[in-house]
Amino acid sequence: MSEFEPKVVAFVCNWCTYAGADLTGTSRIKYASNVKIIRFPCTGRIDFMLLLKSFANGADGIIVSGCHPNDCHYTSGNFHAKRRWIMFKELMDFMGIDMNRITFSWVSAAEGARWAEVVNSTVTRVRELGPYVSYKQMVNTSIEEEVTHA
Amino acid sequence: MARIGVFICHCGENISATVDCGRVAETIGKLKHVAYSTEYKYMCSDPGQTLIKDAIKEYKLTGIVVSACSPRMHEPTFRKAAAEAGLNPYLCEMANLREHCSWVHEKNDMTTEKAIDIVRILVEKVKINNALLPIKVPVTKTALVIGGGIAGIQSALDIANTGHKVILVERSPSIGGHMSQLSETFPTLDCSQCILTPRMVEVAQHPNITLYTYSEVESLDGFIGNFTVKIRKKARSIDEKDCTGCGLCTTKCPQKKIPNEFEEGMGFRPAIYTPFPQAVPNKPVIDREHCTYYIKGKCKVCEIVCPTKAIRFDQPDQILEIQIGAIVIATGFDIKRTDFFPEYGFGKYKDVIDGLQFERLASASGPTGGAILRPSDGVVPKNIVFVACAGSRDPAKGIAYCSKICCMYTAKHAMLYKHKVHEGKAHVFYMDIRSAGKNYDEFVRRAIEEDYVNYIRGRVSTIYECDGKLIVKGVDTLLGAQPLEIVADMVVLATAGVANSGAEELAQKLHVSYDSHKFFAEAHPKLKPVETNTAGIFLAGACQNPKDIPDSVSQASGAAVKVAALFSQNELTREPLVAFVNRCSPPLYSTCVGCFLCQSVCPYQAIEREEFKNRDGKTIKTVAKINEGLCQGCGTCVALCRSKSIDLHGYTNNQMYTEVMALLNVY
Amino acid sequence: MHNLILKAKELLENKIVSVIIGFETGSSGKVRPVFITDSNKADSLIFDERCIQNLAVYLTKKEVKQFGKMGIVATLPIMRSIMVLISEQQLSPENVVVLGISGDGEVLDFADITVMQHYIEKCELGNPAKEQDMLATLNRLNMQEKFEFWQKEFSKCIKCYACRQSCPMCYCTRCAVECNQPQWIPVQSNNLGNMEWHILRAMHLAGRCISCGECGRACPVGIPCHLLTMHLVDQAQSYFGVYAGISDKMSSVLSTYAPNDKESFII
Ligand SMILES: Cc1cc2nc3c(=O)[nH]c(=O)nc-3n(C[C@H](O)[C@H](O)[C@H](O)COP(=O)(O)OP(=O)(O)OC[C@H]3O[C@@H](n4cnc5c(N)ncnc54)[C@H](O)[C@@H]3O)c2cc1C
Ligand code: SF4
Ligand code: SF4
Ligand code: SF4
Ligand code: SF4
Ligand code: SF4
Repeated sequence: MSEFEPKVVAFVCNWCTYAGADLTGTSRIKYASNVKIIRFPCTGRIDFMLLLKSFANGADGIIVSGCHPNDCHYTSGNFHAKRRWIMFKELMDFMGIDMNRITFSWVSAAEGARWAEVVNSTVTRVRELGPYVSYKQMVNTSIEEEVTHA
Repeated sequence: MARIGVFICHCGENISATVDCGRVAETIGKLKHVAYSTEYKYMCSDPGQTLIKDAIKEYKLTGIVVSACSPRMHEPTFRKAAAEAGLNPYLCEMANLREHCSWVHEKNDMTTEKAIDIVRILVEKVKINNALLPIKVPVTKTALVIGGGIAGIQSALDIANTGHKVILVERSPSIGGHMSQLSETFPTLDCSQCILTPRMVEVAQHPNITLYTYSEVESLDGFIGNFTVKIRKKARSIDEKDCTGCGLCTTKCPQKKIPNEFEEGMGFRPAIYTPFPQAVPNKPVIDREHCTYYIKGKCKVCEIVCPTKAIRFDQPDQILEIQIGAIVIATGFDIKRTDFFPEYGFGKYKDVIDGLQFERLASASGPTGGAILRPSDGVVPKNIVFVACAGSRDPAKGIAYCSKICCMYTAKHAMLYKHKVHEGKAHVFYMDIRSAGKNYDEFVRRAIEEDYVNYIRGRVSTIYECDGKLIVKGVDTLLGAQPLEIVADMVVLATAGVANSGAEELAQKLHVSYDSHKFFAEAHPKLKPVETNTAGIFLAGACQNPKDIPDSVSQASGAAVKVAALFSQNELTREPLVAFVNRCSPPLYSTCVGCFLCQSVCPYQAIEREEFKNRDGKTIKTVAKINEGLCQGCGTCVALCRSKSIDLHGYTNNQMYTEVMALLNVY
Repeated sequence: MHNLILKAKELLENKIVSVIIGFETGSSGKVRPVFITDSNKADSLIFDERCIQNLAVYLTKKEVKQFGKMGIVATLPIMRSIMVLISEQQLSPENVVVLGISGDGEVLDFADITVMQHYIEKCELGNPAKEQDMLATLNRLNMQEKFEFWQKEFSKCIKCYACRQSCPMCYCTRCAVECNQPQWIPVQSNNLGNMEWHILRAMHLAGRCISCGECGRACPVGIPCHLLTMHLVDQAQSYFGVYAGISDKMSSVLSTYAPNDKESFII
């Protein structure tokens, strides 16, 4: 492969961003195919551990996206998610984990074009950053350790 | 062992033009536990569905992944098909190959690989899906309507006419609300009492309606279909069964100088009173705050004169507990009073009045018998100024919204004035004329063109008194913002419509949301304008935002239909995609530690406490429990719970984890 | 110290409490926690600058609770832990008597939780100065340096969970690490799993940590894991203006929100 193709996982809520991504499709707007979407009922359901598991299993970038504030289908799930992300981001920064690899966004069911932009800009940014070498090294040594233990 | 079936849809060419469906089906077919993998032109068509159903039976499938369009489109279709073939519908998942793949990517290998990945994660997910059964909740077919204005009356009648029982709770001594105070109503100028009174009587006589006036909601427990409400029936101090409503007591009461609320303070009433002649019920109430007996310990004139001995001085408040299945909130609105306006004299000028006061002046049954007389000296005003948008659309005053009804009732007021005082001059200061509605703009035009009301576009900056006249200073923006001064005999402010007193407390008691202006909040501004965020509780009328009578009545009927739909079934069937707190054998009972932090994140108050007791009845452990009737399945509690004790059907921790793992590792 | 002993005896003799949780000098001359149920033994109670352990961790332990009503010698971090435990319904105010110790070692009399709350409100609530300096130093490092710093630290972790065991707020009956459906945190100790464990723990204490530093002190291999939770103490304060453990009413940062919470990274 000539160019590095990043793996990007998107955690999205069912009511806004998932529907927005559906609209991107119905509008036939093209975007990078590196991203794969996982559907959640609400951003409030997204466990920060899943973000870690994504990196641990080879993701180079992550998108987390849901309804704009005040638009949550469940009224406040996204507000709770927002607080959680603030704390998570600050902790990651403090531990030297690269938050440039995660895009947090609000994309509504009407923002089909915006979803394409969010994906494309994330993929471009992560492609420039290259593979997440330091994290991958950590993962690899951990796997090796396990193998030698066994 | 899992036996998964995968069905790849071409969607005509919508998918197959960019995704190599044959390769997807073949690759997926080789995955562990995939018992059957195929492709077809239109999975959603009848033959497509038959193909799926036959495969389920033939291959004894334990789960299926239909890889086609968005699940937001066809998930119900395929789940139903699965159920028809005897497979639990929640063992059917959809992979979105159209909206999220073929329509957004070019035709190449990467797109096909992505399609394979998308299908694969759902194959892995469906392997660990659980069969789920729809949740059934019994429905108590009695409705509670709170507020007996026109909205509450309409809702109560509509529900009662579908054959269901209704409890109507009104906090004042009579039903009727603001409409009973109005003189004539736009856009037809028919008399408000004439159209309202028959409805009020119908409520009183309807066999399905139980009316509690002078009563308020004390507390509410439970959930959709199964609420328990406590109603405080305040002591009326008369026995309603004995009282015939003759009204003798009210004429003999020595306390006669209590400002009359119904007349907006422009008249007086006794301590024992019925608010207005057409009141329903037409039974008086003793206002204990003003009654001489309660203040000084003696009087009891009413008791002496009452021919049926119906007075009960020692009557206590009563608390009633009633089981109900649905609620309509119809507690209406109020208006800002003139003392809210420093620029217009803080309410100290007697002849600066608000819209409701004008209604009473114009009303044939009002304090002046329908003559427009100014409150200060009872003289007919020759020059009258109406100020629209008094407070509304004024962010500086904290009210950015349009009160919606003022433009119309101001035109009505100006007309009524001109009809009664032919030689008088009526001026209206306005910002814009908002008269959208059937026959509404025609109504305003009539005021301007036939009744010669002088409409001035501009705001009034100040009003002050000078030699017994009111000097109204404003600008005419249509004449290049020219300052303008009108010497008036009387000014009527169309003050902003605001939330009714007590709305916030009531919202908290009922656990429904309200906006920053304390109006009750609808579940969705466009698609669920009648629902609240709490299942089984609906809105009608001006408690949601200021509205006129036609709008209030339409919404009231809308709310009634929602209630009737709910009551059309003996039990409610809900999607089982709800949260659950794990349970295990004693002494642990659950891994939940009972921190109840989850309780405060749940937007629907769906998390309750469950206590486990030992043989002596002592509580040994308290853990969280999800009320399946209330939970909407957002999963916020799941991500919050530190000890991973809550999970969400359909989106379990295990399922989400598996999806992430499947997406990134080739299984 | 005299006052403390008198007070403890009084509580035990009058059967107001059944056990006093405090400090004593152990056989090796080191300070250690003590559980006194007999007023005659209350003389062994001490309090000096070595008494820094967060004793609140014992308030939720079955073995201690079984005695009945508990008295506890409490410095500020312990008082704040008590507040968190009450607000999270792990401790009932009726079940505890606080023998408060002020910053200068004076014994404080708290008639009830509200009085204690007023006392806490007047105290300095941020992280201790020493830790604050360490946080500042770490915050000056670049990404790569931070990552390497923590990787080096985590590589020492033996997953003994002493950090968790010592924290009063880690009272879960089943910790998330013991959950195996799915297995969120790998059982073995390796760099990835160790880091994930520390992120999980820090997130679970976000807005709940009261800066006692016990977790760091408890770690047998000297990992400064308390800096992770203390960093979030700072963040919770700067984003949401709150410190944990200042009221017995529920107010944990991650279980509430304000519609106008500010952030600058969500697009
Ligand atoms: C000056 C003026 C003129 C108007 N003229 C017209 C007109 O010409 N044409 C037109 O279409 N509209 C007109 N309107 C609007 C009209 O008044 C409203 O549309 C209508 O009253 C709304 O009805 P409602 O039942 O929602 O509220 P309301 O009439 O406010 O009734 C609410 C009822 O609920 C009761 N209540 C409140 N809180 C509680 C509680 N906690 N528990 C129990 N009961 C409670 C109240 O006592 C009241 O009886 C006018 C309004 C004003 C202010
Ligand atoms: S379910 Fe979790 S968050 Fe809720 S009370 Fe139990 S332990 Fe606490
Ligand atoms: S899933 Fe959402 S609605 Fe259901 S109990 Fe949890 S927080 Fe409440
Ligand atoms: S780390 Fe989290 S789950 Fe484990 S004991 Fe502490 S708070 Fe509970
Ligand atoms: S410093 Fe450590 S032990 Fe103390 S409260 Fe915070 S996390 Fe718990
Ligand atoms: S950080 Fe220290 S105390 Fe915590 S688990 Fe690792 S080695 Fe044990």
